[in-house]
Amino acid sequence: MGSFVLGKYIALDSPVHRLDPRAKIVAMLAMLIAIFIPAGWYGYAVLFAAVAGVILLSKLSFTFIWKSMKPMLFMMVFLFIMNCFVIRTGEVLVTVGKISIYSGAVMQTLYIIVRLLLMIMITTCLTATTKPLDMTLGIEDLLKPASRIGVPGHEIAMLISIALRFIPDLIEETTRIMKAQESRGVDMKEGKFSEKISAILSLIVPLFVSAFQRADDLANAMEARGYAPGEKRTRYKVLKMRVWDWLTVIGANALLAGTIVIARFL
Amino acid sequence: MPIAFEKVSHVYSTGTPYEFKALDGVDLAFTEGRMTAVIGRTGSGKSTLVQHLNALLLPSEGTVRVLDREITAGSTPKGLKKLRGDVGLIFQFPEYQLFEETVLKDVSFGPKNFGASEEDARKRAKQALRLCGLEEQYDERSPLELSGGQKRRAAIAGVLAMDPKVLVLDEPTAGLDPRGTEEMMKLFRTLNKKNNKTIIIVTHDMEQVFQYCDEVVVMADGKVAAHMSTDEFFADSSVCRGLGILPPAIIRTCDALREAGFDIPKEIRTSAALAKCVAQQVRRHG
Repeated sequence: MGSFVLGKYIALDSPVHRLDPRAKIVAMLAMLIAIFIPAGWYGYAVLFAAVAGVILLSKLSFTFIWKSMKPMLFMMVFLFIMNCFVIRTGEVLVTVGKISIYSGAVMQTLYIIVRLLLMIMITTCLTATTKPLDMTLGIEDLLKPASRIGVPGHEIAMLISIALRFIPDLIEETTRIMKAQESRGVDMKEGKFSEKISAILSLIVPLFVSAFQRADDLANAMEARGYAPGEKRTRYKVLKMRVWDWLTVIGANALLAGTIVIARFL
Repeated sequence: MPIAFEKVSHVYSTGTPYEFKALDGVDLAFTEGRMTAVIGRTGSGKSTLVQHLNALLLPSEGTVRVLDREITAGSTPKGLKKLRGDVGLIFQFPEYQLFEETVLKDVSFGPKNFGASEEDARKRAKQALRLCGLEEQYDERSPLELSGGQKRRAAIAGVLAMDPKVLVLDEPTAGLDPRGTEEMMKLFRTLNKKNNKTIIIVTHDMEQVFQYCDEVVVMADGKVAAHMSTDEFFADSSVCRGLGILPPAIIRTCDALREAGFDIPKEIRTSAALAKCVAQQVRRHG
């Protein structure tokens, strides 16, 4: 599980790391929307260039980006196979037995894959350069206008930050319990179907018990320190938008506008 | 049959920035039928070492021989179940492994995994529970209703019910009250003496090592810093102090008395014997 890099924060010092999380989140949203505008290959070329530029600026290595895409490879292959059967437009490229692959299928799949790749690259740029805590601060601030219509922005942000905080702990706990049950003769890899069910049960039940225990302890610790949701709170870290943050937001939106223009007029 | 490490190294997270060598060329043979303590600072490789004994961890280099199994680095051993039945491993805070609806069901989980019949498993579970000091009234309760100490006992019974030849315990008494600790340690000693089980126990408590164990293995920075009998280890405080370990209170007291001019023989091991010896000398000079 240690090799799973999707969504991991990478501590580096770069212009992208120093950006205000709010600016980064807004810029990411603008670029994600831009991906779904059918701007053809020109549009994607522009987007790819922009994302590559951001990756270079962020000092993230391309091997890291590649690694974070690996979990999606399977899905891409699956999509390709599905599309080959379903889409029957354009010319026939190859015929294998009764099945023919159409050019439309290939194009459609390539579009989806390119979109997926771009999505992963953009979200990775955000998660790898923003500390989870900064991210939740950013989300909280961005949700502030919505609190007028009853959206609990602070609570949502707290939920997200706690959930993120406990992922490594739960992974560790799972390994611990797995080892303990393996020592009691549970076979997580070999064994019959019914044995596997009981193996999973012996893992899930203690995991839930300890997760609830942790939640209880955390709630008590927070209350003991006077935490009350909905109260006014001051912050240790105050976010401030600087010139570069505004430029990032403007740049990303310009990119979005650009793709719309390309989609309409080219 | 051997329980031995030959030039064993273990590296965590190989090929990542978090790479860490927890064991570094360990050569070690545990003596069968004895109770051996594994001591050392946090991060010295104790837990990593003992997890090799039932192949939860596989060596990155070297060979581990446990009973009739031989596990060499680079191989992918199959059918480790038998080994796991022969070597019972009890982790630190084992109560998190409890998951069944009743205590009895949970304790019979282990034996059933190793192919015991329902009836046989129940019988063995009951025996193990009594051995660990949990009376019949707890059999049908949910493990979650038990107190911390009782949960610990139930979890330990869950491994004892498998009737392993070798029992490996990773800080089994951490967090127990003094009385519970003493009862547990006495139980392990009985299992060692009467049932002839080899026991390997990871601990931080020098008093436990001193009182209950036959041999001591000292780990430091992933290497074996010392391996000797408890008698040698505690013969005087120099061995302990040389390794940066605070000797048990009785040894420290003997040392202080010797320094103050008393003649304390090396065989003295209990506070009663020490008191007697001191009283005699005081009277003689009196």
